[in-house]
Amino acid sequence: MDDANALVDLGLRACEAYDRPDLARRLTVTKRGLADPGIHLVVAGEFKQGKSSLVNALLGATVCPVDDDVATAVPTYVRHGAEPRADLLFDGDPVRREPVALEDVRQYIVENGRQRIAGVEIRIPRQLLANGLIVVDTPGVGGLGSAHAAASLAAISMADAVLFVTDASQELTRSELDFLRQAYQLCGAAVCVLTKFDFYPAWRKIKELNERHLRAAGLNVPLIAVSSPLRARAVKGGDAAMNTESGFGDLVKFVTERVGGGAAARLAADAASEVAAVCDHIASQFEAEKAALADPAAARRVIDELTAAKARVEGLKTAAARWNQTLNDGIADLNSDVDHDLRDRIRKVIAEADDAIERVDPADTWPQMESWLQSRIGYELLANYAQLRQQAAELSERVSEHFREASGEVFDQLAVFNPAPLVTRTRVEHKIELEKMKAGKQAMVALKSAYGGALMFTMLGSLMGVMLGPIGIGIGLVMGHKGLREEKKRQQTQRRSQAKNAMRRYCDEVNFVMGKDSRDTLRRIQRQLRDHYSGLAEELNRSNAQALQAATDAAKRTQAERDQRLRDLGAELDRLRALKQRALAVPA
Amino acid sequence: MSLLDRTRIVLQKAIEVYRGTGHEARLVAVRDRLDEPLRVAIAGRIKAGKSTLLNALVGDRLAPTDAGECTRIVTWYQDGHTYQVIAHPRRGAARQLRFSRDGGAIDIDLAGQRPEDIDQLVVTWPSQELRTATLIDTPGIGSLSEQVSRRAWELLAPDDEETPADAVLYLMRHLHANDLEFLRAFQDTEVSRPNPVNAIGVLSRADEIGVGRVDSMASARRIATRLASDINVRRVVQTVVPVAGLLAETAVTLTETEVGHLRKIAALQPRESEELLLSADRFLEKFPELGLTSMEREALLGRFGLFGIRLGATLLRRGVASTATELSRELAERSGLRELQDVLGSLFFERRDVLKSRSALLALDTLTRGVARPGAETIAAEVEQLVASAHPFNELRVLSSVRAGWVTGKPDVVADLERIIGGSGGATHIRLGLDADAGPADLKATAGEALGRWQRRAENPMTAHELAVAARVAVRSCEGMLADLGRV
Repeated sequence: MDDANALVDLGLRACEAYDRPDLARRLTVTKRGLADPGIHLVVAGEFKQGKSSLVNALLGATVCPVDDDVATAVPTYVRHGAEPRADLLFDGDPVRREPVALEDVRQYIVENGRQRIAGVEIRIPRQLLANGLIVVDTPGVGGLGSAHAAASLAAISMADAVLFVTDASQELTRSELDFLRQAYQLCGAAVCVLTKFDFYPAWRKIKELNERHLRAAGLNVPLIAVSSPLRARAVKGGDAAMNTESGFGDLVKFVTERVGGGAAARLAADAASEVAAVCDHIASQFEAEKAALADPAAARRVIDELTAAKARVEGLKTAAARWNQTLNDGIADLNSDVDHDLRDRIRKVIAEADDAIERVDPADTWPQMESWLQSRIGYELLANYAQLRQQAAELSERVSEHFREASGEVFDQLAVFNPAPLVTRTRVEHKIELEKMKAGKQAMVALKSAYGGALMFTMLGSLMGVMLGPIGIGIGLVMGHKGLREEKKRQQTQRRSQAKNAMRRYCDEVNFVMGKDSRDTLRRIQRQLRDHYSGLAEELNRSNAQALQAATDAAKRTQAERDQRLRDLGAELDRLRALKQRALAVPA
Repeated sequence: MSLLDRTRIVLQKAIEVYRGTGHEARLVAVRDRLDEPLRVAIAGRIKAGKSTLLNALVGDRLAPTDAGECTRIVTWYQDGHTYQVIAHPRRGAARQLRFSRDGGAIDIDLAGQRPEDIDQLVVTWPSQELRTATLIDTPGIGSLSEQVSRRAWELLAPDDEETPADAVLYLMRHLHANDLEFLRAFQDTEVSRPNPVNAIGVLSRADEIGVGRVDSMASARRIATRLASDINVRRVVQTVVPVAGLLAETAVTLTETEVGHLRKIAALQPRESEELLLSADRFLEKFPELGLTSMEREALLGRFGLFGIRLGATLLRRGVASTATELSRELAERSGLRELQDVLGSLFFERRDVLKSRSALLALDTLTRGVARPGAETIAAEVEQLVASAHPFNELRVLSSVRAGWVTGKPDVVADLERIIGGSGGATHIRLGLDADAGPADLKATAGEALGRWQRRAENPMTAHELAVAARVAVRSCEGMLADLGRV
């Protein structure tokens, strides 16, 4: 991580020295990303398994409220901050924040909080978080069937790693295993944490059984047994032996090495490729100048060439550019695909619900019906969202491909007309290495900032309560009399149609809210991709313009000046080449 | 004529109608069931502590308990003259099995049969407790092996038959989405709609809620109270009682030796004892000078759990209990077992005739509507007549309507209604909200007041229609109580 930082600093200095504030802007963003990479570690599991206690014990601070009864109701994001502070997060674009006193946080996090909020962000000065780790405490999933399970999975799909929490009171249940399996598919870096081993004497047996279940399910997930009270005591008393005994040593190791380390390596590689690209940009102008200086006869051609390239690069910036069209068309297609998919899914749910209502009496089964409907919808939304995610990544890839093709042509052309062997050699190095910009990454960044999985929680939360309205219960049911059965049948039919209407209203509402949300998400993706590639085009334009300027100036120089300048250029290029080599040495 | 007698007469007529068909034997069995103890099933998710609670209720460690998933076969425990275990295989004739017992639970030799081939086991055991109720231990739902969980479903919600249990104790660890679904399946459809009349919720393993802190039970009680007032829970169980099952089982089977061992821990300094009891592993390894072998420590942990040891040692140290008898009583009280027994008494046993009639009429209703036969229609009509006119059933119906939120009113009025019609227990003093030792004059006066109060509500034109109908049932309940009191 320090290496990457030093590299970016060198790149920034180069930008300043060669007067390229546009490139410096890009590197500044990279630098900020390195300082606060936002590695999300999601803590998930059924409720009352000790998730919040685990987070507190892991961080050695009481940040998440723990209670015997009430459970965590909104996701809590714990991240690093020099001063402890807390913010409430509200849905919106961008997410709205409202500072709140740390000691008041509890009432917002636990069930029956007063306001509907999307989450709580807490910052505390903790070494473990200093590298940009964000620990996300989630509401318990309450059985695979529940709506919250879908929301947790949505959060997990955005996570860098997952801690699945289960306590040592019993072996993994079927619903837990199902959940874990889905979570593992969405996010490969998962660990299963067995909590409360201090309280359950038979924890070793449970651990063994769980290991067997995990193996049988084909899940390559390590299992770590921990005791939060022991860890809390160890941290308080600075007792290293007890810390080892608590099992948190292994967990912290997993978090810092596998979670933090893995993400850090990826970030460092991304940063290095940015620096390499910046080197290419700056070198391109020197190469052009050098070509013009080395052979005055060729100078004119170089200038013509760069002038031609200028037109192309400017074309890259316009709306008519192919990548831009691909993007616009792609987003439009995606919009209609996702919308159609959502409608289709909800139509199926409605048909299923109609069928179910026909078979039962809503008066008896409405609460189950309601939670069934919510969770069913939750899973359909998740699937719909997975489609959006996948198609957005594909689109991002296509856009990047088209941009690369167009920009590649510009530079190829430049090289073909350069007569000097010196310049020919540079042809290979000249191309700005867009390949290293991982395609698809941009879309993910946009999705992450737009979505973050938090939406699912609030979304499902705000749609809780499928109102059935007052149920018609005739007095016949209260006071027995003959002919009960016919009367019951009549009322039942009435209740059924009431239930179907309520269910349809709910589904309409979901369609409306979710449809709007995916349109907004896609718009954000579009904006992000457009800004990104416009920025790249602008950089290319600037590089080209400077090269043109330098080549034009070169034509006016005297021989002595030329020789001097050639020597200087050689030195500059060597420096840039060295920096690039260093950047390329970072393993991707 | 009592409800039980009326039920018996209808059943007798039905036996005549179905004489000579394959259903005769089934009806005879239903009739005989009226004279047997109430059948109470113990159900819940896996590892909810069903077998442990069963042992606590019997006061003997009969059912095997284990850290893994344990009960795989539906097992009946009933009173009898001799000790015997009968296996009813899915196919073929029932056969007696050999069993052994040394110290702990009954160890049944399945004689080479696979558990999945056995439909149910019937353990007959001479026991005072089993004379009041036959207990049915069920495999947990939410079990990893589909087969095992389906068995609990089959027992409590069979597709083609009446449920074998009259009432159910439903163990929940902390409300889980699966729980309600299961409980719902147990509810019948005809005699009295979604029905909180035959189910009690038990917040089992209550000591786990506070992860074994000494104040865990207080926490558990608070949660049980909240659950019992939750609308979704109210619809399906009458009340929720917290019980620390393991401690309850140990309390009623406590030995002198165990108390001796606890005394050694109580003799430690409070700080040392805290260090020792920080974790189960520590208890097994630390303080070699304690004078307990590792075998003894392990046995103690298995019997009491960390919570039980913490609580037991504290009680001995503070002198709250000093003898084994005192400690046993204290632990039974604090484990919530006494409260559960009281609740069982007032909600199930005092109402056993109604519950048993209900099961029988349900069975009859299913049969007459499913199997046509000359005369079956008359029987069906009589069943409906009985169900519609018997006051105890009206009480049940009002109770379930109140519980389902269909009868509404001011909270104190609704609470009064629930109590009068027997929602907290069938005994007169409970219905009137008086102490158990209230004198007849006191009871009579209070019942008279209640009668006047409910007559006014029934006749008040401002009373909502549903509540007015319910009020008439309450009036009838008050009249019944006054009649009973007059007879004494």
